[in-house]
Amino acid sequence: MKNILLLGLLFTSVFSQAAHHEMGHMHSHEGHMHEQMVEGKSLAVDPQRFDNFVANLENSKIAVISVQGMVCDFCARGIEKTFGKDTSVSKIDVDLASGKVLLAYPASAEINRADIAQKILNNGLNTTDIQVLQQ
Amino acid sequence: MKNLLIIICLVLASTSFGRPISYVGGHTLMANSSSQADNIYWHYTPDIKYSLGVDYQKDKISDELFASARFTYLLNRKNTATSQRNLYLKTGVGLKKDSHFYGLSGDWETRRLFIGFSAKQQSGQGYDLFEQRVKLGIAPYLGDYGDLHTWLMVETKKNDLDDQRITYPVLRLFKGGALIEVGYHRKTNWNVHLMYRF
Repeated sequence: MKNILLLGLLFTSVFSQAAHHEMGHMHSHEGHMHEQMVEGKSLAVDPQRFDNFVANLENSKIAVISVQGMVCDFCARGIEKTFGKDTSVSKIDVDLASGKVLLAYPASAEINRADIAQKILNNGLNTTDIQVLQQ
Repeated sequence: MKNLLIIICLVLASTSFGRPISYVGGHTLMANSSSQADNIYWHYTPDIKYSLGVDYQKDKISDELFASARFTYLLNRKNTATSQRNLYLKTGVGLKKDSHFYGLSGDWETRRLFIGFSAKQQSGQGYDLFEQRVKLGIAPYLGDYGDLHTWLMVETKKNDLDDQRITYPVLRLFKGGALIEVGYHRKTNWNVHLMYRF
């Protein structure tokens, strides 16, 4: 009987730890949009950079654009200038290291992927992928 | 002599390895200063395939001003996730004198490495000049957009005028839309190139 009680306590303890770990795991990643699957694909973004980008955004859509040929500040500056003229874009981030451009739009905005790709092309660069997240 | 000066000015005006085509609607202002001439060059990019520009030169020996119109066409561009390669056709024509140049230039660039070349033919009244250049560069560290980027470069050039190849170090500093390049050779002394894109 004593052994059964000990075994019961052991199981209770193990399951309790597992549940606690699971809850802790969920908690530590709560609100981290970069871990979302978008259209069946995971986001290949710098997690910290992405989290900083979305930190003060509310009710927004975020377009994550994968760009080829973005190798210097002139490329980045051109993209910033081009999308800066788009009044529907509320925030821009250009990450040279990962070749990603992040654009924030109001949640109600219609995101035109062809227009984004054309604007990137107008900077002499190529778009390989556009993923849109709803915050 | 005057025609020769015009040709030298055209050579100096067309030697930059900076991107000769900007983003659509973008302007670029460049200034060069060397022992032979100073120049200011502005170009506008109406289409991603070409740019139009005007160049003003001041020859330091004759103290004369020369103006030329420039047209640059993007022949080929290849983008990858980590690099960009370009091939340009560059042309220019003097607005006062019968002088012009045409040439090819190209570059391949990653965030770490740079390789560029140019080959140009300049012509004027009684003068023809062919010039070739190659430039290699390495970035000792990788910065993010907006950081100060540093490039350590070596440029080598040769033309028909002195028929002698000269090779010299160049330091390029780059931040946002601004770029400065400083090169030095004991024969040609300091060469400073400034660029601002807006």
